[in-house]
Amino acid sequence: MATESSEGEEETKLMGGNPQLVVDGDLREMAKNAAWSVSSCKPGNGVSALRDDNYETYWQSDGAQPHLVNIQFQKKVKLQLVALYVDFNLDESYTPSKISIRAGDGFHNLKEIKTVELVKPTGWVYISLSGNDPREAFVNTFMLQIGVLSNHLNGRDTHVRQIKVYGPQPNPIPLQPFQFTSTEFITYSILR
Amino acid sequence: MILAEKQCASFASIVVTMEEVLIDSVQNSLRHLLYHNAIFMCERLCSEFPSETNLQLLAACYLQSNKAYSAYHILKGTQMPQSRYLFALSCFQMDLLNEAEVALCPSNEPNAEVPNGAAGHYLLGLIYRFTDRLKNAAHQFNQALSKDPLLWSAYEELCKLGAAGEAESVFGESAAECIHKQYLSHHVGLQSDDHSVVSSRQVAESVSPRQLRQLHSNNIKGNSLNNNNGTAFSGRVAASQPNNNGVHAGTPFYNTPSPMAMQLSGVSHSPPPIGRNMLPNGPPSSSVCADVSPRSTVKSTLQAPRRKFVDEGKLRKISGRLFSDSGPRRSTRLAGESGPVANNNGNGTNHSSKYPSISKLGSAAFRSVTVRKGQSWSTETINEGLRSDLDDTRSNTTTTSSGSSPPHDARSCEHDGSMARASMSVSKVASGALDVLSLLKIMGEGYRLSCLYRCQDALDVFMQLPHKHYNTGWVLSQVGKAHFELVDYLEAERAFSNARLASPYSLEGMDIYSTVLYHLKEDMMLSYLAQELISTDRLAPQSWCAMGNCYSMQKDHETALKNFQRAVQLNSRFVYAHTLCGHEYVALEDFENGIRSYQNALQIDARHYNAWHGLAMIYLRQEKYEFSKHHFQRALNINPRSSVIISYLGTSLHALKRNEEALAMMDKAIIADKKNPLPMYQKAIILVTMQEFDDALNVLQELKEYAPHESSVYALMGKIYKRCLMYDMAMLHFGLALDLKPSATDVATIKAAIEKLHMPDELEDNL
Repeated sequence: MATESSEGEEETKLMGGNPQLVVDGDLREMAKNAAWSVSSCKPGNGVSALRDDNYETYWQSDGAQPHLVNIQFQKKVKLQLVALYVDFNLDESYTPSKISIRAGDGFHNLKEIKTVELVKPTGWVYISLSGNDPREAFVNTFMLQIGVLSNHLNGRDTHVRQIKVYGPQPNPIPLQPFQFTSTEFITYSILR
Repeated sequence: MILAEKQCASFASIVVTMEEVLIDSVQNSLRHLLYHNAIFMCERLCSEFPSETNLQLLAACYLQSNKAYSAYHILKGTQMPQSRYLFALSCFQMDLLNEAEVALCPSNEPNAEVPNGAAGHYLLGLIYRFTDRLKNAAHQFNQALSKDPLLWSAYEELCKLGAAGEAESVFGESAAECIHKQYLSHHVGLQSDDHSVVSSRQVAESVSPRQLRQLHSNNIKGNSLNNNNGTAFSGRVAASQPNNNGVHAGTPFYNTPSPMAMQLSGVSHSPPPIGRNMLPNGPPSSSVCADVSPRSTVKSTLQAPRRKFVDEGKLRKISGRLFSDSGPRRSTRLAGESGPVANNNGNGTNHSSKYPSISKLGSAAFRSVTVRKGQSWSTETINEGLRSDLDDTRSNTTTTSSGSSPPHDARSCEHDGSMARASMSVSKVASGALDVLSLLKIMGEGYRLSCLYRCQDALDVFMQLPHKHYNTGWVLSQVGKAHFELVDYLEAERAFSNARLASPYSLEGMDIYSTVLYHLKEDMMLSYLAQELISTDRLAPQSWCAMGNCYSMQKDHETALKNFQRAVQLNSRFVYAHTLCGHEYVALEDFENGIRSYQNALQIDARHYNAWHGLAMIYLRQEKYEFSKHHFQRALNINPRSSVIISYLGTSLHALKRNEEALAMMDKAIIADKKNPLPMYQKAIILVTMQEFDDALNVLQELKEYAPHESSVYALMGKIYKRCLMYDMAMLHFGLALDLKPSATDVATIKAAIEKLHMPDELEDNL
């Protein structure tokens, strides 16, 4: 499983990896309607491989580092978690090692919010975007950029097999400042 | 021919035609529900004796074994009313609504009578309903009810259209009279039948089966017979002895022989066993009915002589053919050939087939019976099976002419001495009919009120039912639905589980039950219910709706959607399945498909207010507030008592910045259902927007009493206190809110608010 140790302010080492995707119920995948793009790719291993729910297919970059995956949302969204499926056993020198996550309004003002170092990952690795402060549980942003700064064994190009981005469940009832917790409120708020 | 045979009755020569034997066999198979055999034998019958009546019998066999396509093929182009009716039914089952409509209502004969009276009208009503001509549909259902007040399905459809009249009047006196007349006309037919049979002048005309068959195949309404005789000799002629023998024409369902009939016959024979068998006419066809009046008219004028005749004739006739078929057979034959009305619930009928077969049986039985007197009972039993089918459907038959005959019947009854006794049995009929009608009054009114969403009234009405009727699956299911609409899920659950105890095999309303369990978050019970339903009937939409609700409750919206789509596939006219699909699409944030699903639901049933509400919610999310307000209003028009809808309508108004109206709406919602905490909460939100912080706090204080465990109440109060610079109170309430375990988002929001408590007030998005 991924272990997190807070050595220093922004860098964490992640080891291992889950073969299964395990995510909290109160999170939901945010990037279904986002625009995905990559800095470079080999023909046949393009960006669509990142979203096809298939561990066999992968995106392979084809240019200079850092290799970038850009995710642009239609509106500002709250994001909490990024999950990557990478496998050292399969990809060896193509496996990403240092990953930097940036957020911002667009390409012009991206700011790094997280850096992690992967150590021989073998499955899903989870990168939380929350700050230490409970107020900073989410990153509220238009765009997310995942940068692969370096690979294992100093590989040039990288393989990433799947990426998922998570945020909090939206309030099922529109136009409410808070979500309901009690049964009476929930019962009377839904007409099925 | 009949006379001759009658005279030969005592001799041993057996004259049974091949056709009769085949028909007997088919009808016997049908009676025993051996459809495969029935179809085979009937196909032989039709090859050997191709005639439209035989084709009707074959079509009936096909329809009963779910082979509507075969029935469609063999009846295409036929013109007899019964054929057209069966053909329309086949088209309907194959979803060929245009052809069905044309069969019932030929475009080149705009004033032609709908075949098979009430059943035809009902079928036509369904066709209109499914082709979105709701006014015409309502008209047809009303027609059906006026012809046969016991056609409950027609009333049910009217309720669903929101166009039903009060049950009190629909199942009231005129209905009783109508049924009364139906029975009377049978009886009268009985009388005239004997009479005509006996009178030499009439015998030839009345008795000849061939002639009768011809009559009917020509679909003669004002029978030539009538014209010939001047007597009301009509299809009813067949209302024969069997009736006299004991079973009152009007009491097919009751085995009690009518005393009058017996006396009238002047013979003290023992008819009772024949009872059901002897029912003369199964469903009076419209053409048959048309004959009633002439007959009765004639009757009244010929009373004196007739009385004599009746006695003599009956004596002779009855003794001569105690178990003779001629009467019943003829009548059934007549009934059959004139296209008896069949009960049709729109999904095909089991009864239509009986009629043609009965007619056949009539002629066949006649011959066979005259020969083997001793064995007449066996034929009777065959008839019995058929008759019982007829009987069942009789209630659905309509007698167009019954309206016209009663006065005559009544008069002739009174005049004739023996008729006096007739009125005794008539009143027996009347009381039986009244009993049934009083039951239907309650159920009908209850159903009507629940369709209008006057649920408390509906519940009160259903409570008037006697215990034995209340504790049945259907009623309890309706009670459950009423409680569901009142947002009283606990009571609804109770009623539905009782319904399941009463009728564990019934699927009626089980989709709503599954939603109730969904609301109550009873995942064990819900999955159990879904499993049970699926094992009962894998092809019922309700089962898959329950299964879908199960998955939806576990937040697996994709699987839930698949299940609901399966329900739609199984029955695309099952409205709720479409609505549930819509809900799942919305949960998956696929609003386009959600809108589409809700619109599909509304196309099927524009009174399905859940779909209107669903659409409105989508527009609310998409910030199309005018649209959402309009759609909430539409939902509210259908169900004006729903506090949930009123509350959301208020929310839309608030979003449109019409705050005063929004407040009024919230007050309305509060009054509509005291138990609903939401309107008060929404009211507070509106007041905050209007900067009425004190009022908002008061409302929330009150709400706190009602719902002490709702985190958002405290959170909102905390925010208001913060705005009012009452930081201590704010802190307290934020703390309380956090204690009640709000969602992660809200935890973040609240904690952020706490942090900023001592900082200048920033612009808050959600306040």
